[in-house]
Amino acid sequence: MPLYVYTITAATHPGRTEGLTGVGAEPSPLRQVSAGPLRAVVSDVDEEIRPRRRDLTAHQQVQDRLMAEGTILPLQFGYVAPDDQAVAAVLEERADAYLEALERVRGCAEYHVRAAQEEDALLREILQESPRARELNDRIRAGDADPRLPLELGELVATEVGARQEGLAADLIRTLLPFARDHNVRAPADGDLLNLSLLVHEDDEEPFLRAESDLAEQSTTVTFRFNGPLPPYSFV
Amino acid sequence: MTVAPQGGADISRRQGAGSGNLYDVLELILDRGLVIDVFVRVSLVGIEILKIDARIVVASVDTYLRFAEACNRLDLEAGRKAPTQLTDVVGNAVESGARGKSKGAVGGVVEAVKQSLTGGSDDEEPEEEEPEEAETEEEPEEAPRRRRPARRTPRRAASRESE
Repeated sequence: MPLYVYTITAATHPGRTEGLTGVGAEPSPLRQVSAGPLRAVVSDVDEEIRPRRRDLTAHQQVQDRLMAEGTILPLQFGYVAPDDQAVAAVLEERADAYLEALERVRGCAEYHVRAAQEEDALLREILQESPRARELNDRIRAGDADPRLPLELGELVATEVGARQEGLAADLIRTLLPFARDHNVRAPADGDLLNLSLLVHEDDEEPFLRAESDLAEQSTTVTFRFNGPLPPYSFV
Repeated sequence: MTVAPQGGADISRRQGAGSGNLYDVLELILDRGLVIDVFVRVSLVGIEILKIDARIVVASVDTYLRFAEACNRLDLEAGRKAPTQLTDVVGNAVESGARGKSKGAVGGVVEAVKQSLTGGSDDEEPEEEEPEEAETEEEPEEAPRRRRPARRTPRRAASRESE
């Protein structure tokens, strides 16, 4: 029977999964497939799994639980193996890489940071600091119907917004980086200026969380969305 | 203090990603994590449309006009009185009640998806109500873009510090 594969751990991981729900409309109990020093946490699936909220949440909750008890290599959502033998074969073939990855993230969790900036404040700042933008804005507001004016203003402002947000994102990254073993920057979602993942060791967790809170408290126009500790999705 | 999902409280953080903040970790769950390429991956068709849409960043005439309109609408008098030291955010300890209302020219798609993912109780949800359905309804043209490279910083080699 096909298996949904959640995560890979060392065979020494307690692997307790009582009370957890797997993916699917009628989820099968979670179980393990072991091979040598490694183990995969799986559940049988006899239906097509789709990225439903229920199943995404189930996937994430399994990681959360297992992460609380030891180091894990969380899989991306949605991998289904044909049978137990196929899972065991992968664990054997790639044992070295998985053991190395487990060692790399041992004692660490992922912390994810997104930030967005209040748009009006940013636009005001640009208008205050750019005489040309102010002039264009004033002319448009005064009724000048030249169609080139909004385009020039918009292009100027768009460029400024991009540059300022990138500068701010770089500042934010610099502030948090000293607490991380590794980091990963991705393109921000629409409306955001930062999409940052950090691999933080438990020894550095306290100062890191303090740095996060400080950032949030000091920021006048930036909203932060902090998530973590999370399974080290970005670092496996 | 504008910590959205967790308020900086260690207790809530400890719970990791519940459905309340599923949207923000959706990208991690779907796009990162360990890949085992010899296994079959379930279809993510609808979801990928959104993710691509959110990532492709194109400066367009539409974006320019949107920004121009946003500037024209601004109440500049109010703005002149308000300190907006955005770039000092890291070093400057000024507290303010500013909240994230950046939904004008710089928001939209994300919010719609967030609602579709965090909107209701999971248990009562009919099977048909999948995240990707709301996402594909978004018109790409409605999404403002910013000029930004798809990936600013390549992932550097993972550190090998041992415990």
